[in-house]
Amino acid sequence: MNTMLADILLVSPMIALFLFSLIPLSIKVLRGNVEQSPTATIIIGLIGLFLTAGLLIVFGGSGKTAFNGQLVFDGLTQWMGLIAVMAAGGSMVLMYENPATRGRQFSELIFLAMNSIVGMLILVSAVDLITVFIGLELMSLALYLMIAMSHEQKISKEAAIKYFVLGSFASAIFLYGVSFIFGSAGTINILDLMENASILVKTNKVFMFGIAFVTLGFCFKVSIAPFHAWTPDVYQGAPTPVTSFMATAVKTVSFAAFLRVLATKPLIGSENLFLVLQWFAVITMTLGNVAALVQTNLKRTLAYSSISHSGYILVGAITAGISQNSAFAASSVVFYLLGYSLMTFGAFAIVSLIEKNEGHSIQTEDLAGFAKNQPLLAFCFAIFLLSLAGIPPLLGFFGKFYLFSAAVSEGLLWLALWGVLNSAIGVYYYLRPIVVMYMHEGDCDVSDERHFGTTTTIVIAALLIIVLGLASGPLFNSIEMALM
Amino acid sequence: MLSALIFLPIVFAIVMAVWPQKNTVRHLALGFSLIQFALSLVMLSRFDSSTAALQMVEQTAWIQRFGISYFLGIDGISVMLVMLTTFLVPIIILGSWNSIDKQVKGFHAALFVLQAAMLGSFLSMDAILFYVFWELSLVPMYFIVGIWGGSRRIYATLKFFIYTMTGSMLMLLAIIFMMRLTPEVTGGAISASLLDFYKLNIPFVAGEFLTPQTLLFFAFAIAFAIKVPMFPLHTWLPDAHVEAPTPGSVVLAGVMLKMGTYCFLRWVIPLFPEAAEHYAWIFIALGVIGIIYGALVAMVQPDVKKLVAYSSVSHMGYILVGLFVMNQYGVNGALYQMLNHGISTGALFLLIGMIYERTHSREISKYGGLASVMPYFTIAFVIVTMSSIAVPLTNGFVGEFLILLGSYVYSPVVAVFSVTGVVLGAAYMLWMVKRVFFGPKGELVRGSGNDSSDGHGHGAVITHANHDVHDAHAADHHPLLDLSTREVVVLVPLIIMIFWMGIFPNHFMDFSKASVDYLVKNKMDYSIPLSANAAQAQEK
Repeated sequence: MNTMLADILLVSPMIALFLFSLIPLSIKVLRGNVEQSPTATIIIGLIGLFLTAGLLIVFGGSGKTAFNGQLVFDGLTQWMGLIAVMAAGGSMVLMYENPATRGRQFSELIFLAMNSIVGMLILVSAVDLITVFIGLELMSLALYLMIAMSHEQKISKEAAIKYFVLGSFASAIFLYGVSFIFGSAGTINILDLMENASILVKTNKVFMFGIAFVTLGFCFKVSIAPFHAWTPDVYQGAPTPVTSFMATAVKTVSFAAFLRVLATKPLIGSENLFLVLQWFAVITMTLGNVAALVQTNLKRTLAYSSISHSGYILVGAITAGISQNSAFAASSVVFYLLGYSLMTFGAFAIVSLIEKNEGHSIQTEDLAGFAKNQPLLAFCFAIFLLSLAGIPPLLGFFGKFYLFSAAVSEGLLWLALWGVLNSAIGVYYYLRPIVVMYMHEGDCDVSDERHFGTTTTIVIAALLIIVLGLASGPLFNSIEMALM
Repeated sequence: MLSALIFLPIVFAIVMAVWPQKNTVRHLALGFSLIQFALSLVMLSRFDSSTAALQMVEQTAWIQRFGISYFLGIDGISVMLVMLTTFLVPIIILGSWNSIDKQVKGFHAALFVLQAAMLGSFLSMDAILFYVFWELSLVPMYFIVGIWGGSRRIYATLKFFIYTMTGSMLMLLAIIFMMRLTPEVTGGAISASLLDFYKLNIPFVAGEFLTPQTLLFFAFAIAFAIKVPMFPLHTWLPDAHVEAPTPGSVVLAGVMLKMGTYCFLRWVIPLFPEAAEHYAWIFIALGVIGIIYGALVAMVQPDVKKLVAYSSVSHMGYILVGLFVMNQYGVNGALYQMLNHGISTGALFLLIGMIYERTHSREISKYGGLASVMPYFTIAFVIVTMSSIAVPLTNGFVGEFLILLGSYVYSPVVAVFSVTGVVLGAAYMLWMVKRVFFGPKGELVRGSGNDSSDGHGHGAVITHANHDVHDAHAADHHPLLDLSTREVVVLVPLIIMIFWMGIFPNHFMDFSKASVDYLVKNKMDYSIPLSANAAQAQEK
């Protein structure tokens, strides 16, 4: 009984979030399917998120396991969960103020978003591959609907179908891999696998297939080339707040689960797998950056940029996988994801604001004159882009620094070299929006109505990028302490 | 003290950005920059020039996990460059009084951030801190060229940014690599302190390329050579110079290029002495090629600003040669020449800016006979030209003489080739002076002058409507008016410096001599000693 209670306390963040997600939906049903004020919905949603974050801080990092070792609540769960909740909360504010998502179905959208976050929290805490799958599916199913729900853009339906079909395919491959692992190892608990995985890797081909399939499933979710093809289309087609949700929170938690599989070292001895992953990282970085160079649509540029960042993060995940002391490399990944989420969220938030005014999807050229009309927002956008490009002393630079330091210390010099060269390519397309904003004449502006919440989140994100960049030492230390 | 020097401009920049009154922005900026200059003079008065030690050290841990600290210090190598930076900024602000007429607040804020970043990179003694400032300096410069520059400004500014960024990315990787080596000398902990880097003994095998020291040497050297810029990595410079607004060109030529050469002296030579010595010939050869190539290309330029830009390539070639001959004369001369080039090329760009404000043209062929219309301007221009071509009694002579002496000691062949640069330099500069100031009046000069007729200049004047009321009024009637009081105030300090540094070089060289001599003597086993109180500060 007591253990049961302890387990429930541990999963209280998920329970709280789920209960809160029911409130706006229930109100709507009780009022006879009449949409209540979106303001009430978003306030309830944000209170739920704050509560979840609080519970996660209190119960999340104890290192305990729940439900017969299916869920673990350690530093990784806590940090990745908090990053995801933060990014998702910001994206929900965007949903509230973007006409593409705020509408007659806003309470359903928030319900879905919050349940998607429940899935994320399961995903970051799961150590059992089936539970990982449940988390992944809960998160994704809600997401498919969120993408399709935009009532303005037809293109979002196409994006949703594309994502749904390919996503289901990837899930199936993942599940197939899990069955292989279960068949060969007799367990699907990652922590149990550790004990005899290194032998199985060498002796059992079926096990190796299983691991490979699971890895591919993850590669799809975090858009690692050559499994990235859905990313630009879906990111472009989805309503911008949902894109921001996907690019930040979803990517963070998917990497968290990926990292857990890679970094808990069931795979030591499988050099081939890591070699393949290294090549994936190289291809992803190159492809993301080179493709971003030729994009004219701002959201598409950011989508390819997000692919290239997946490549950088994969370098960190590989380092965590092959190093003896994975806490250092793993914390560099967490740190990078924190920075990446903040700056990507900020960039999409700006896009969401401008898009509202322009009334159509925006090209980079449409930004002209933004700096003159909205100096503060343009400055924040410049901060986000420079941080994405890795200019010191912003958070993005320190993220890259830790990531590549970890890689160099594990002897992955060539990956670090490649990453660094790619960052130099990246500078070009990150600077272009700044060029257009500041140096071209135009009339890009933000419409007057309702953007207080978005502006606030943008300014907070920009401030965090500067402040956390300067205070990156203590921040990194606390992450590393939590992951030890 | 040093922190104040770096962070005061940042505070200034923030104040400028939020300053409510538009028409007092320039006065405020000028006041701030003078405060900054006064502060640097106080710093100079406390500087002990008799020792090679690192002084006024400030060190606090920043990112302990990686041994990165906030570590500032100043010695003879950096002190004069710091002074050059603080000296030029007020002049730049006064010099751009009329030429910057849009987003004045933003411009001055960017200028102060740039100043902070440049001072930071001169004063940092920690690799990562240095890298932060080094990269940070790109951003304001990028905006200065991109927003206030000429017609092809966006191309130029992107080229500038990406060139430099590519180089520095390699350097970042090299820094990370070196940090990984430091546990050898610190007894276990990683450190990014430059002093610990100096203690490293990085393996070097002569003739083999793939040794750590050689690779690290080239990673650093290429990053800095792009900034210098060394032939053949110089192509961003003429573009950036031509498109930059006058103040941008002055900062670029005056200080930013020196960041590259300074870093050779602070980083490359003491950190990788064997590799530097072994591969010095490459840099000397490219330096000499740069001298001659820059001069030859400068000679055929129709645009006077481009001419000066290529002359920069040529002059920076001298500095490279001086650095890499690695003897007392050469290095002292190179350091001195950095200051000279900052002052004389800075002055040239300011003068060109002044004439451009009046006529909106930089084409040499459209001028001619300017001397009779603008006599004082001509005098100033000729003096600066003399400094640029190293006529005795001007500062340029001292620097070039020392470099040539140093290169002769290294190898007479190098000296012979370098000397051709002096001749060519005199040729293109004097020819340009002749075509612009003397001879028959050109189309822009004709019809203007003191007798205010309806010439070409008139039409040009209407286009720059945002002049000061006073100046605009005057310029309306006399398009080619001689120097205004403001412009005289801008130029006089520079001209004073030209002669002061030319006649009494020891007043300036004494500050750096101890450090340079120490570096040259001990380059194989270099480590900057800490001054007594600095050592105490570090203990804490």
